[in-house]
Amino acid sequence: MSKGMLIDTTRCIGCRACQTACKSWNNLPGVKTTFSETWSNPRYLSAADFTRIIFREDVHADGTVGWHFIKRQCMHCNDPACVSACPVGALQKLDSGPVVYDDSKCIGCRYCMMACPFQIPKFQWDSAVPYIRKCTFCADRQAVGLEPACSTTCPTGALLFGDRDKLLAEALNRIRQFPARYHNEVYGEKIAGGTAKLYLTAHSFEVLGLNHRGFRTDLGDTPQGVYGREWMGKVPLVALGVGGLTLGLYALNRRRAEVAAAEAEARHQEKEV
Amino acid sequence: MAEKVEKWYAGEPRGKISYGRMILYILTTLGVISALIRLFFGLGSPITNLSDAYPWGLWISFDVLTGVALAGGGFTMSAIIYVFNLKKFEPLLRPAKISAFLGYLMFIFGLFFDLGLPWRIWHPLIMWNPHSVLFEVAWCVMLYTTVLAIDVIIMALERFQIEGPVRFLRSIYVIFIVAGIILSTLHQSSLGALYLLLPEKMSELWATKAIGPLFFASAVIGGLSVVTLESLISAWAYNRKPEMSILSELAKFLGVALLVYFAMKVTDLYARRVTFFALDWQHLLLYVELFGTVFLPALLLTFREVRASVTGLYWCAGLAAFGVALNRFNVSLTSYGGYREFSYFPSAIEFFITIGLIAGGVLLFDFLTQNLPVYQEELIGHAESTS
Repeated sequence: MSKGMLIDTTRCIGCRACQTACKSWNNLPGVKTTFSETWSNPRYLSAADFTRIIFREDVHADGTVGWHFIKRQCMHCNDPACVSACPVGALQKLDSGPVVYDDSKCIGCRYCMMACPFQIPKFQWDSAVPYIRKCTFCADRQAVGLEPACSTTCPTGALLFGDRDKLLAEALNRIRQFPARYHNEVYGEKIAGGTAKLYLTAHSFEVLGLNHRGFRTDLGDTPQGVYGREWMGKVPLVALGVGGLTLGLYALNRRRAEVAAAEAEARHQEKEV
Repeated sequence: MAEKVEKWYAGEPRGKISYGRMILYILTTLGVISALIRLFFGLGSPITNLSDAYPWGLWISFDVLTGVALAGGGFTMSAIIYVFNLKKFEPLLRPAKISAFLGYLMFIFGLFFDLGLPWRIWHPLIMWNPHSVLFEVAWCVMLYTTVLAIDVIIMALERFQIEGPVRFLRSIYVIFIVAGIILSTLHQSSLGALYLLLPEKMSELWATKAIGPLFFASAVIGGLSVVTLESLISAWAYNRKPEMSILSELAKFLGVALLVYFAMKVTDLYARRVTFFALDWQHLLLYVELFGTVFLPALLLTFREVRASVTGLYWCAGLAAFGVALNRFNVSLTSYGGYREFSYFPSAIEFFITIGLIAGGVLLFDFLTQNLPVYQEELIGHAESTS
């Protein structure tokens, strides 16, 4: 059974305990941060920050300010583009849900970073021996029957870990029960072929202004790895076609030259006779 | 017959580019120093300006994508001569193979320094992901570089008059011809297919399902134009007469290739209903690419006077080659900038490594053409061995 995580952003209070738990479990180094125009900290995901809470302010009609707290991390796609892209198979989708990365295979080509529609894989730029880093869905914890660090630590139940099917049913149920509270779509249900992480939000990601900050809404339901796999499916045919054509024409040319040479020879002999 | 072995004499010693050679040595040295710095200090700032927002930069756009497209001369000439049986172009074959071989060597070195873990560059040999377009590119490039290396080895064996192995290689030469054309068709188009996975990150002007065939067609243009330029430039550098009769003939092929590519591009843009008329810098780049470097040289090449003049050929082949490079940069870099709040411009070290690679490539070309039987008038038997 494939695991998933329901992220009900309307229940998040922005405490960032998940960020801390993630750092702690994955033993990630601290990163120097600076003030900025946003409450979000750190500003971007990086090889040392697998998850972060994006803070969005929302000014209501009556002048009061509302908040949205959106957790960002690897979506753990059902059919991940990074897994299709990786030339050496360093990235794998486990049947249990997580998309995991094998340090010992990676060559550092960074095609996964280019391919990921959610811009998740990050690179250890500061190292002379750099690897790709991203949220692992705590595959190591899951393997021993534990929940991911972030959902374990979440104090409000905004992060629910469980079977993806059940969580999806729960999410749809919540929308049905509280239509005023939720935007009428579970982000991650179908996008890019569906993801293990399922989002409930108060507004669409366009309204939240995050559709170009990691939550693309224009991806469609086709997993993008399909395009690469379709291409690879045609490769043997193209190889055979081009090969056959080339060989055929080459053989034809050769035969023509032989015939021409034989005819010339025959003419030459006729003359001599 | 196919097993013919070329005889060769060294020709007169060459002069003229010794000043140039000096500059090339300096640039190559700078490149080597930069490459060592990159190896020991990694890819992060300030060594390169690559970042999580721009994982691929100058090296992928130029050393890999542009380099491979412009090194398409090897398989293009091989197809013209062996498959389409146009033997009059044979004098261009050996120089084209040398420059293709060097192009691929430069590409492999460029990729080597771009990889985060370059000492694992061999991993695709044993770690397979047959779903990955990049996996296929890796294999095709490895195999095709081997094919090109065999061509260079044949020339080296001829140089040292070791005839036995040459006869053997010539007797199975058809394998290399066919393999070279298959492998080139596959990886030239697959380099474009790499971008099938990320349409949402690219400008709609270049994000197309047809990118594979488009890359292939423009690689033919890259190959033909570089063969032309290379022939003109080496004639100038080595005080030789450019082989204008053949080059003007080849220019017809270049013109046709440009026209076909132009038609493909326009059809693609039309079929996808993209906004063609707009005044932003991406559209300007598209106009330059489409009209300045594809249509213009195609138009110019329809004139016999242009095809017959050295200047005309310099311009047309130069524009066409520049157009291929511009297309690769547009696909991989400029079309990528549209929606991100980050920007990217290559660092000094990125430039030095790329320039060093080019300079080193030119020096090696100079060395190889001087020491191997490459140019027709140096071959005592003349006529390339074929059927």
